[in-house]
Parts: sequence; C-alpha cells; structure tokens
Amino acid sequence: MSMQTDTSLASLPINDPALPRHRQLGLSDEQVLAALAGMQRVRNVDDRLWQLSRQGKAHFVITSAGHEATQFGCAWAIRAGHDYSVPYYRDMALALALGQTPLDLLLHGMGKPTDPASGGRQMFGHFSSRALRIVSGSSSVGSHIVHAVGLALAFRITGEQDIAAITFFGEGATSEGAWHEGMTIAGVQQLPVVFVCENNGYAISVPAHREVPVRDVATKAAGYGMPGVIVDGTDIFAVYAAAHTAMQRARSGGGPTLIECKLHRLRPHSNADDHSKYRSPEELAALAQHDPIDKLRDYAILHGLLDAVQWQVLQQQIKAEVDAATLAADQVPDPPLESLYDHLYGA
Amino acid sequence: MPELTFLEAIRSALRDEMTADQRVFVLGQDVGVKGGVFLVTDGLYQQFGEHRAIDMPIAEAGIVGAAIGAALHGLRPVAEIQFADYIQPAVDQIINEAAKLRYRSAGDWSCPIVVRAPFGSGIHGALYHSQSTEALFTSTPGLKVVIPATPYDAKGLLIAAIRDPDPVVFFEHKQLYRTIRGEVPDGRYTVPLGTAAVRRTGRQISVFTYGLMLHHSLTAAEQVAQEGIDVEVVDLRTLYPLDRETILASVRKTSKALIVHEDNLTGGIGGEISALIGEYAFEYLDAPVRRLASPDVPATAFNEALEAHFMLNPTKIAHALRELAAY
Repeated sequence: MSMQTDTSLASLPINDPALPRHRQLGLSDEQVLAALAGMQRVRNVDDRLWQLSRQGKAHFVITSAGHEATQFGCAWAIRAGHDYSVPYYRDMALALALGQTPLDLLLHGMGKPTDPASGGRQMFGHFSSRALRIVSGSSSVGSHIVHAVGLALAFRITGEQDIAAITFFGEGATSEGAWHEGMTIAGVQQLPVVFVCENNGYAISVPAHREVPVRDVATKAAGYGMPGVIVDGTDIFAVYAAAHTAMQRARSGGGPTLIECKLHRLRPHSNADDHSKYRSPEELAALAQHDPIDKLRDYAILHGLLDAVQWQVLQQQIKAEVDAATLAADQVPDPPLESLYDHLYGA
Repeated sequence: MPELTFLEAIRSALRDEMTADQRVFVLGQDVGVKGGVFLVTDGLYQQFGEHRAIDMPIAEAGIVGAAIGAALHGLRPVAEIQFADYIQPAVDQIINEAAKLRYRSAGDWSCPIVVRAPFGSGIHGALYHSQSTEALFTSTPGLKVVIPATPYDAKGLLIAAIRDPDPVVFFEHKQLYRTIRGEVPDGRYTVPLGTAAVRRTGRQISVFTYGLMLHHSLTAAEQVAQEGIDVEVVDLRTLYPLDRETILASVRKTSKALIVHEDNLTGGIGGEISALIGEYAFEYLDAPVRRLASPDVPATAFNEALEAHFMLNPTKIAHALRELAAY
C-alpha cells in the first residue's frame, strides 16, 4: 500500500471550492467557534496548572499546548460515548473536546478524590471516562496502542458495525515494542482502528532524528499493511479531514489508518523539564508562529465568524470560567485515608 | 462421572464457557487451526470459528494487550502464552495495565481477562521451555495467580477465573497435562479462587505446595507415613492472594512446616509463606520453617542427568520430611 500525502475530502459532505474550508468539510460556523473556544479553554487550564504547580497545589503538569488543533480536529471525527478513544498523556485538549470540563481536568491535576479520571490516584495526564469511552492509560509509553487494537478486535468478535477505536501517541512511542505489536495485529486483521501520531519532534529531550529512523512516521504504515497519511497538525481542518476519512474507513470495514500530525510542542515536556537545555533560542523564539489557536482565531476572524472585540470577550469569559473551576477544585477536601484500599478487586 | 486428563479438563472448561457465554473467546499463538502446541484449545476453532479462537502473531504484549482492550468492551478473553517462559514481553501489560485498570480508574473500568500459560520442567524443555515464572506476579495487587493441580480443580478454577471480574494469571504445569487423570463433572461448575485445599490430613508436619509438586508431595507423604510420620498436605491453588487462614490453621495444628515448589528458592512464594508463619504462628512452631525448591540456577538443563538433578521428586521431599520430623 502506498503512502497518501493528500487529505482527500471525497468522503466528506460538501466539496465546493468556493466555500470556506470548514463549510467544505460540512462543519458549521458554530462548530468552529466552539472548537476555538474549547482550544482557548484548555490553554487556560494548561496555564492554570503551571501556576498551581508553582503553588504546590498541582504536583505534575504535562502540556497540550501546540497540540490543540490536532486533538480538537480528531474529536470532530469521534462520536464520544460510542467510538472508543485511547489517549496518551499529551491529550488534555482531546479530553476536553470529547466532553470533560475544566473542573474535571483541574480535579485531576490537583489529585482530588472527585477526579473523574482516577479519583486522585494517577498523576496528571491520565485522562479517563468510561461514559465518554475515553480509556484509562498507564504511564508506560506505547502500551495503550494494543488496547485500541483489542477494542477493535472486540467489535469484530461481536459483529458490531459502524464503530471504531482511535488511539493517540507521540512519535517517541513508535519506537516501543508494544506499538509495533499493536500495529502488526491491526494490519494483519485489518481492524477498525485509527492510529494518530502527534509528532512534535521530541521524546522529552531527544529530537526526532535520534528516535525515528525515517523522516515521516507515516511511512512506517507501509510495513503494517495500512495507509499512512501526513497532515499539518496545527491545521484543525486538515486534521479533521484526515481523521474523518480514516474513522469512516474503519467503521465501514476498510481497515486501519496511521495519521501523522506534524506539530510543535510549545512548552517544556512537563513542569519538571527545562527545554532551553535542548532547544536553541532561535527555535524557542519561533514557536509562537506555530500556535494552532492563533491560526484558528485568524481564520475565524477572516471569515467573519467573530471579530476582535468578540474574541476579547470570549477570552475573558473563559478566564472567569477557569477561575471559578479552580476555586471549586481547590475546595474539594482530601479523600478519607482508608480509601487507599478501595477498588483493588471487584465484587 | 467421566475421567479426564488435566489437559482435557482445561479444554472442557473453555468449551463449556464459550458455549454458554458469547463473550468468552481464546486468543494466542497457534490456538486456532492447530489447537495449541499442547492441543489444549483443540477443536475450539472448528466449533466456534476464527473470531473466537484467534490465531495471533508472535507478539505476547500484543496478545495480552488485545485481550485487555476486548475486556474493556465487556468481553471475557482467555489469552494463551505458549510457554510461561515467554510471558516476559507481556509483563508490562499484565502488571502495569491489567492489574491496575480498576484501581487507577477508581473503579470506572475493570479488566476481566485470563492469561493461561503452561509452566514447569520435566519434559526436556531446557532453559526456555520449563521455567516457573509465577513469582513475577505474586507481588502484584489487583492480580490473582492461580495454579491448579487436579483435573477437577483445573476445570473449576478456570471457569471461576473466566467469570472473575479481575485479571487472573493461570499457570498449568505441562507435565500434568497428560499424566494426571481424574473425575471431572460434565457441565459448568466453579472452584473458588483464593482458597487452598487440604489434600491429606496429618498431625506432625504441614506441607504447602501447588502444581506438579502437590502430587510428588502426596507420594512422599505416603512413603514417610509407613515410617510413622504423619503429614498434612495443603494444595495452595491460588498463590496470590494467599489463603492465609488455611495455611496458619494447618501449621498451628502440626507445628512444623515444609514448603515445596518447583520455582527457584530465592524469591519464590515459599519465602512469603515462611514469613507469614513466622509472623503469625511463631509460638506454635517446633522447628524452623523449611523450604524445598529448585536450586537458584536459571532453569533446568537440557542434559538428562542435570535435568533430573534439578527437579524435585518424591524422594527428595521424603528426605526433607524425615529431617523435619527428626528435628
């Protein structure tokens, strides 16, 4: 199978080059504005978590800044609560896009007992909700890929149609054995699963050329009997087009797809990292040009979906919303100590 | 009641559960068309089809990981690792994923999978077809580790493991597959996980053991009985969590304990049982707790003489019993 570098829109509803891109893709103005607000909302939560870490109220922060367009673009292609999403630690924006709230994320970041992801057991970055079919993960890089494959295998066993699993990982995970095993099984069985690589060029500090032996992760797909697609991961519409095509292909029995979203990690790996040790001052200065929120805001203003004043108002509303969520999360008391022993085994 | 081999009892459990419950399926290397390298799953492919007896690539992490994923959607996968020696690539999936899913999601998710693996030496399997790897898993909260010794238990414990809401690692001693026969009821029944069984009652020494070593221990107990040494033999059946009550009740009665396992001495479950007895039954003891285990070398050798020297047998166990009786 050859690698596809186009993002064919053939399966999407409208194909009229005279229309703005979102309309071509069948997305309404409201959907675009909701995504823009959501991306800004998750960026505010990201900012807030770094502040809380400095205050000693959030002990670990892992950023999704720079990855928002990829995660929101994919979320448009996922029916939350129906399709399964198997995320990794960088996917805070995805969790929000699929239906979690700033309060959910802050409770998770502050390790509160009402954290819906883990009840305060997992460090931040392990998003989970059975109701939304967001699958709980560990911190072992790449080990979750095979869970998405197993979910897809389950659909094959039960004979369920029109459902798919989608999993997310960085380019660093593609070195892992479990990634290879998952890709192999998905390819052999042609399972309804979509693999999304959020390639930000770094495995913490190790640059892509020291961890991935080929220029494009998407080319690896050829070895697993599935198409590989490359998209600009800062372009929400390009990501949606690719994800929608891949999900529809999976749901209709067409097999798996690997999508590589090329993007930039705008911040250090985590609050325990200093990326100035391994990124040049020039590279760091240039990061601002790759902010997917700026890109979508400019698009929305250009196409008259909102104006500069409305954007200011929206930002203020979001800040107030995140402030309120922070206060609410901070007030949640610690769990009873004996709860340490809860949920070890089922009944 | 029909007499089945140990292997036939396991197959009977799989077939009965797969017949009764559409959610149950098997996956692993060679488990489909071939029916497994030991033929445990023989006939399941023909009866249930390729989607419920799934031949998988040589990818242990993928096999267990796929089982986990399927369990998340409500299925009841039974994954086979061809030899316990090859469970290592799947350890991350078993310990970091399956065992922690319920806990790490505060009960939102659960992971009801069974991972079956033949273990143990005595079939000329040398270093990589005869290891006892159960100790890798007997310090993992969230997991259950089950090792049957009789055909009746093999079926009942496997059905209980499949129905259990949490992940179970189920080790089958490969030398038992065709050498042990026993009465096994038709139809579905369970033997509860987490409970040991007293296989022989006695007053002077308690033996704690499992798997093939249960049979060797029973033979040894008969040998020394003729010399007036009265031995109780306890089949642990579940190694994690241990049935502490049965262990402590037995040793409080007999006052002497011998732990017998094929796993290596250091780090084997014998150390944990010994510590348990030391902490909670010290004042009942008339002798130091004794462990009889395989020597601390990687596994049995291919050379027949070395293999025989490595293996525990009834003679070695009887010798240890006599020493303990004389203490």
